Amino acid sequence: MAEEYERTEEQGELEPEDQPTQVVDDDGSPEEQDEYQYHVGQQRDHGSEDAIEFIDVKKSFGRNTILNGLNLGIPDNMISMILGPSGTGKSVCIKHMVGLLYPDEGDVLVHGESVPNMADDDLFEMRKKFGVLFQDGALFGSMNLYDNVAFPLRQHTDKGEDEIAEIVNRRLKEVGLGGADDKMPNELSGGMRKRAGFARALVLDPQIVLFDEPDSGLDPVRTALLCELIKEIHDENGGCYVVITHDIMSARRVAEYIAILWKGRIVESGPAQELFNSDNQFVRQFLSGEAKGPLGME
Amino acid sequence: MGRTWLTVPRDWVASLGDIAKFAARDFYEIFGGRVFKFFGEALRQAGILILGSTLVIWSTTFILGLQCGIEGAYFDRSVGAPAYAGVFSAWCDLREIMPYAFGYMMAAKVGTGLVAEIGAMRISDEVDALEVMGISSMTFLCATRLLASWMVLPFMYLAAVGAGFFASYLAVVQQIGEVSSGGYFLIFWMFQNPPDLLYSLIKGMTMATFIVIVGAYYGYTASGGPVGVGTATAKSMVLNVVGVHLVGMLGTQIFWGSNPRAPIGG
Repeated sequence: MAEEYERTEEQGELEPEDQPTQVVDDDGSPEEQDEYQYHVGQQRDHGSEDAIEFIDVKKSFGRNTILNGLNLGIPDNMISMILGPSGTGKSVCIKHMVGLLYPDEGDVLVHGESVPNMADDDLFEMRKKFGVLFQDGALFGSMNLYDNVAFPLRQHTDKGEDEIAEIVNRRLKEVGLGGADDKMPNELSGGMRKRAGFARALVLDPQIVLFDEPDSGLDPVRTALLCELIKEIHDENGGCYVVITHDIMSARRVAEYIAILWKGRIVESGPAQELFNSDNQFVRQFLSGEAKGPLGME
Repeated sequence: MGRTWLTVPRDWVASLGDIAKFAARDFYEIFGGRVFKFFGEALRQAGILILGSTLVIWSTTFILGLQCGIEGAYFDRSVGAPAYAGVFSAWCDLREIMPYAFGYMMAAKVGTGLVAEIGAMRISDEVDALEVMGISSMTFLCATRLLASWMVLPFMYLAAVGAGFFASYLAVVQQIGEVSSGGYFLIFWMFQNPPDLLYSLIKGMTMATFIVIVGAYYGYTASGGPVGVGTATAKSMVLNVVGVHLVGMLGTQIFWGSNPRAPIGG
């Protein structure tokens, strides 16, 4: 799939809406500037199969175009990170992966199957491959921690309560919530809710785990601990982990593969170390967190 | 200018269309049998309805039954027919006041509760969490609640009618006391029969179904954070109150509009 995303050569074949716009620079002389000039779209080889693929995905909400021809492959058996400035469509990406949103154009494939073209029953079946950690954990407020984590097991398996208890307690212990199983979500701190959400996401041993900004609202130490937890559990269970974030420190800690999203397209993607050494101005600015560069406040 | 004044009615029509589609899907989930995958949740919701709403609904109908009895007794005294106070209780209680009281309390307690609960789940990603677990949120959250209301509310309604009747009896016979118990019941039963109870039940259940669907719809489609949930709750209350009166009016017209079903005029 990697070759399909080699868009470097395609930069000259822009669609009408992508045509360079005339801007006036500081000295007043007109200068052509391409909105997507930093988007080489290059996908460096990661030596693995893609678990999830976005193919020319476009998505708009009203007049706001969020994804504008997104091409991306997420490798299997790696921790991948989709990085990008705030409001650039990262969470929208996650929702496309699990069929909570459908693209206006293009396709999203999970293990080669087209998500937008699935019938409802197939979609619900496909979603069992996923575990998703939402930003605030999305724990059910009417259930205690134990019941929250046990919920997917009770709904999707025929396991008895003893077996469910064994699995739930093991998962809660893994995320450091061993003694908190009778607490209600409103009694938990933000970090605890995220860890509980992580335990619930893992409870069916999913092939793909998605993390929507797991570091948001956490202090740096707790963020580091959560990142360590993600790494440990991935080492133990394997599978495709996709982390959405704009926190560079988290990326340095856990990412094996990085895709940088901006203005609805991938600027560049590849193995983490190669991205950190990229020559692309935008990538360099973003991954070093510098104020000076192509990314401004606009 | 033309566009401005048309926008509001257009939105109403669009919303009603969306609610009709939502209701059709809800019915499909129930009559298609998919809801029975989550029968345990339906039972849980039934339990919540029983524990959370029974007393308040019965209390309201009891109080309104008292009022109906008192007003009816004094009115009948004023026209020189105090023995006919049972007519008021039979008609006012069964045909109008009980369905309306039931509808109002359902709208205020159950309808708004549904919007708040499902809306809060929507804005905190709990609905999405259900979906990504491979569970149809529509079935799990909305169809189970409608099924629960159908399982519980007929009995709750019939008991509410009983509470209203009992209150009217207390007011007319025990409090005002211008008619004997036997005289009261003679007239009371003369002016109603079992089909009237069935029609009243149909009115009440139609209101309840409307309210549960509207509540679930506004909760399920809530957006815009806590303010959005508040706005959705207010909208649902307005629509539910209008709906309760429409169902009440149509029910009265259909069931008793052309035939009073009473020994009037010989």
